[in-house]
Amino acid sequence: MTPDRLWLCVAIVAASLAVPSLSRAGGVGFTDDEVNNADDGPSYFGFVREVDGPGVADAKVTAALKDQGALVTRTDIMGVYKIPGFGKEINPDDVIISCAKDGYTQDSVVRRPREAGDTKDPVEVECYLKRK
Amino acid sequence: MKSALVVAAAALAFCCAEARVGRAQTLTGTVSSSAEGAMEGVLVSAQKAGSPITVTVVSDDRGRFHFPDGRLSAGHYALRIRAIGYDLDGPQAVDLGAGLTDIAIRLRPTADLAAQLTNTEWFISMPGTPQDKRPLIECMSCHTFERIVRSTYDADRLFPVLKRMATYANNTTAARVQMRLAEREVHDEAVRKLAAYLATVNLSRGPTWPYALQTLPRPQGRATHVVITEYVLPRKTIAPHDVRTDAEGRVWYSNFVENFLGELDPKTGANTDYPIPVLKPQSPTGTLDLEADADGNLWLALMFQAGVAKFDMKTKTFRLYPVQAALDNDATQQSMVMPRSWRVDGKVWSNEVAKQSIMRLDLKTGQYELIDPFKLLPKGHQHSPYGMAADGENNLYFMDFADENVGRIDAKTGAATIYPTPTPKSRPRRTMLDGQGRLWFTEFAADKLGMFDIKTESFKEWDVPTPHTYPYDIFMDKNGELWSGGMASDRVLRFDPRSGRSVEYLLPRPTNIRRVFVDNSTTPVTFWAGNNHGAEILRLEPLD
Repeated sequence: MTPDRLWLCVAIVAASLAVPSLSRAGGVGFTDDEVNNADDGPSYFGFVREVDGPGVADAKVTAALKDQGALVTRTDIMGVYKIPGFGKEINPDDVIISCAKDGYTQDSVVRRPREAGDTKDPVEVECYLKRK
Repeated sequence: MKSALVVAAAALAFCCAEARVGRAQTLTGTVSSSAEGAMEGVLVSAQKAGSPITVTVVSDDRGRFHFPDGRLSAGHYALRIRAIGYDLDGPQAVDLGAGLTDIAIRLRPTADLAAQLTNTEWFISMPGTPQDKRPLIECMSCHTFERIVRSTYDADRLFPVLKRMATYANNTTAARVQMRLAEREVHDEAVRKLAAYLATVNLSRGPTWPYALQTLPRPQGRATHVVITEYVLPRKTIAPHDVRTDAEGRVWYSNFVENFLGELDPKTGANTDYPIPVLKPQSPTGTLDLEADADGNLWLALMFQAGVAKFDMKTKTFRLYPVQAALDNDATQQSMVMPRSWRVDGKVWSNEVAKQSIMRLDLKTGQYELIDPFKLLPKGHQHSPYGMAADGENNLYFMDFADENVGRIDAKTGAATIYPTPTPKSRPRRTMLDGQGRLWFTEFAADKLGMFDIKTESFKEWDVPTPHTYPYDIFMDKNGELWSGGMASDRVLRFDPRSGRSVEYLLPRPTNIRRVFVDNSTTPVTFWAGNNHGAEILRLEPLD
């Protein structure tokens, strides 16, 4: 495992441990903590980094469905992002991941291979930026 | 020439001195107690007999207080104080004449500390996990925690009470309960869990609370440099929700439980009600969001009356835009309206709480369009479009109050972009867009203030200084300072996001603040808000 992938795993595990305790806190009325995840589609995660370079912090990452809508987040200090994802009826292959940051242009997007028909496992997508 | 100048200066000084004498019915004094001696941070309030106006100042580090010149006219004034742990021993009243009056106020330890605690202080005092306490942030919408903690009901007896409260409309106050027509889904298991917790913090197990009552410190330093004016409204049932001033300095407010738009004359305290036609006689009445459009006319979200209303400031008449029958039912609820940029495309934004959706009104046809900004997101998650702002192209920015998102609807394409806040489950509530394209908002459930830059699409967040504050709304003033208030702490927060420096101004009585507004035409700026449960309007003037 490369150091980058090790860091990514650590980040994802840490995020996974943090989310349940936080997500139990909050909501509306007497039923505020009731969330039904049965209809959740896969989340999207990965690095934004410079081509052959380090992760890029505070880069904008967009998960878009053409002409329909988008989810937008930013990378953390390591260049890692995580987007919660769309509903299960959305085909992950239709979701376009892009990244942006002032002073950079997007170079390429690399999607890790997934098993055909897998609609639950998080989708790992790396996005590469190059300096203008 | 030199002698002429001296004479002129002397004449000017004489005139100024005369003017001071002419309007001076100034009240000054000291506050002390046997336990502390001179006391800083005691709120001293004076209300003239027969007047709806109460003026409050705060004692300084030497225990001295001073009402500004010209604020109090000659007459008989009732006095009250606010200092946690103390009651007013005396004097209870003072007669002001033509000159300066100096009094010595004495405080004695209170025999009922629980009656003085804010919701924030109850939150801090109560044992239990954050998860246990989390549902209580909803209780403040209708009443203070004192009602809960003084109850002697055990969990079994609390259960039907909670179930019954779930049948009340959200625009309910203790002074006016309103029933929902459409039943709300409430899960018994969650209610039982809450009832069980409440029975551990009330008086069901004994005559006193099984935990120590924690209090916040009194105001100090800069937090004492303030004058607060309360305007008592003519009926206890008036529930001012959103308050704002117009270009002439008049104060306007939405009434959360009665179908009136209110106007207050801040000079006299006189109140005028403008009745809003009732569209659905069987449904709860009252309005929530009060916004001004670019022409200075006011718009109201009609809640369960289903629609929005425009108030023409020249003719003082309403034009109603009811939700069309195809979209209307007993649960239909418009809590928000955003008319700021309607001249761009003839469209006004609103929301449909019952469908967790955005609505857009076409002013030409009077028809609403339903837009589900969360249609691509997983089902089974709660959402609630709430606080709204529109940019110069009438693109909508909204807060997802039930979850953790800021959303954007493109005015031309209708496409939604969702931006999760950095803090999960933040429940962003009300918002404003400043002239630099910064969307300021409160993260109600996260105890944070937030900023979303619509140009860079990036967030910043700041913790509020006191935990369990649950900020409801926020306003960025002309000096770059943020003002915020809420339903928990009886305090107004002034926060400089550049330095992180903050001041919390304690208010003279229990105060349930919703929308906050800052009048930038004064120097220093003037803060306005309603006391939703107290039938009063508040003006807070910082002295620096």
